[in-house]
Amino acid sequence: MGILAYRWAAFVWMVLLAIGAAGEFRRPAVAWLVLGATGLWTLWLSVTPGWDRPLTRWLDLGVCIGLLLISGIVMREGYTVGEHPFFATAYPVCAALTWGAARGVGPGLAAGLALSVALTLSRPINGVSPADATGAEIWGVGNGVVYYIAAGGAMGLISRALGRASRELRRAQDEVLRERERVARLSEHATMGRQIHDSVLQALAWVNKRGHELGAEASVPGPEVLRLADMAAEQERALRALIQREPEEPPKERASLRVALDADARAVGEVPVTVTALGPIWLPEHEIDEVTAAVRQALENVVRHARATRAVVFAEEGEQGLVVTVRDDGVGFVYEEDGLRSRGKFGLLQSMKGRIEDLGGRMIVRSAPGAGTEVEFLIPEHGLRADRAVDEGRL
Amino acid sequence: MSDEGPDRMTGDEPLTEEPIRVMVVDDHPVWRDGIRNDLESSGVAAVVAEASDGGEAIERARESMPEVILMDLQLPTVPGVEAIRAIVEESPHVKVVVLSASGEEADVLEAVKVGATGYLLKGSTAGEIVNAVRRVRDGEPVFTPSLAGMVLSEFRRVAAPDPGVPGLTPRENEVLKLVAKGYTYREIAGKLFISVKTVQNHVQNILTKLQLRKRYELMRFAIQRGLDKAPE
Repeated sequence: MGILAYRWAAFVWMVLLAIGAAGEFRRPAVAWLVLGATGLWTLWLSVTPGWDRPLTRWLDLGVCIGLLLISGIVMREGYTVGEHPFFATAYPVCAALTWGAARGVGPGLAAGLALSVALTLSRPINGVSPADATGAEIWGVGNGVVYYIAAGGAMGLISRALGRASRELRRAQDEVLRERERVARLSEHATMGRQIHDSVLQALAWVNKRGHELGAEASVPGPEVLRLADMAAEQERALRALIQREPEEPPKERASLRVALDADARAVGEVPVTVTALGPIWLPEHEIDEVTAAVRQALENVVRHARATRAVVFAEEGEQGLVVTVRDDGVGFVYEEDGLRSRGKFGLLQSMKGRIEDLGGRMIVRSAPGAGTEVEFLIPEHGLRADRAVDEGRL
Repeated sequence: MSDEGPDRMTGDEPLTEEPIRVMVVDDHPVWRDGIRNDLESSGVAAVVAEASDGGEAIERARESMPEVILMDLQLPTVPGVEAIRAIVEESPHVKVVVLSASGEEADVLEAVKVGATGYLLKGSTAGEIVNAVRRVRDGEPVFTPSLAGMVLSEFRRVAAPDPGVPGLTPRENEVLKLVAKGYTYREIAGKLFISVKTVQNHVQNILTKLQLRKRYELMRFAIQRGLDKAPE
């Protein structure tokens, strides 16, 4: 916009000089025509939204070079020399400024250089042979050359500095936004923490009170003690969940598989279930829903049939894709689909298998009597391909 | 089916053996009492010292020379990780088992990096605790599946910063992944057609590499800050 203002000022100055030098025109018609064209060009640049397009920049450079060359034709022979201001000198610098502003230092300098060449050529066109040039003439041309080149370069420098500043401003704004979101999340976390701490304190107070009362009784009723233990266990789980919540920022429209699996594991009361996920594993919600549903069914199988002392849910995102296994140390069985189906025992397994196959994956069951069971879900094409590429950069 | 620990591979030791000298570090007296009770009623171990904070732990370890230390990480005065670092530096033969309530990943991993050789959650049964004490005393790292998962993540998260810093071999990676999936050392040995001893060696090597990486990290940090130069 600043350049546009300068452009208009330069144009007005050019018109004034032309009026002042009207008597000196060799070809007045061409002079006024060129002035009119320059005015139209400036007007067009002022109203078009495409003023910073590459094509516009090239045209502008052409117009400015043309002005310099043509002014050699329209002026009386030898008029441009000496101390007389040349009627096109101020306007052409706009091209150097525009190039510098739009493309940086190098292109700015190049545009300035192109204008300098045109300026130098305008002298012979005006009829002044280089051999006859006086010191003052060479001095005048030199001044113009320096003026054009410096203008392009300087504008490039300024625009580079401005660009950097604006990028930094944008980065700072993003930072502030992220920080604000983080604070909001932390404060939500803190609110949850207060609620859970309160319920933990309540439970502790009750365990303390009842524990002492029970201790004073002659015989301790087992169910009552178990109820206290259950109460403590429930609070322990709640606190643990609070501590282990993902501290990281989830990518857009993704949630953590680890968090979801942790919640499922805690919901199993009958067998202790450990979740070992390598990293948070960010997945789209629908994939989390399907995978965790399959894992819940596998855990249900463990509880119902395995007679296991523990189960481990393992999840990893690697070169093969997403791998989730549910492993128990229970009695194991012979995995043979047809046999299981004929005995009507394939229902749950079939459902798990279906879910995983719908995600383009497959289910593998490894088991033998007495050796526990491992159910593996392998999903090669899970929806995290783009993010996975980023991850693999880190791996 | 025994309910002893994630790894039920060690057979019962003859009871004529001297009880293992154990120190228990926890700021809650209830926990210290409970663990003492678990250990001593098994006949496998004797609690030779107790400490209720990190500073006390460093001192008592020096005085009573335990073989195994069971240690909480959330401690007053000196934090657990710092205490472990100090104790292991002073007496490298002492085995430290982290007994943590929170399972806070970063803390546990730090503890293992500075020299702890085992990790149990406080919810573990008496049998698991006794078994862990016996196994670490015998030089075997006690990896729960969750610790194996943490270590595996750590090796993946931080790609080797330097060719001089060891990463995991494919075999170590395989072993660690099976531990993370809940397989016992004996089951892993069966699956991979190697001996239980070899599995233990792999796990020990993994731990050593983890500690090496930590040392390398510290060294690099020191060099960056110019701390390696002698004061003038």
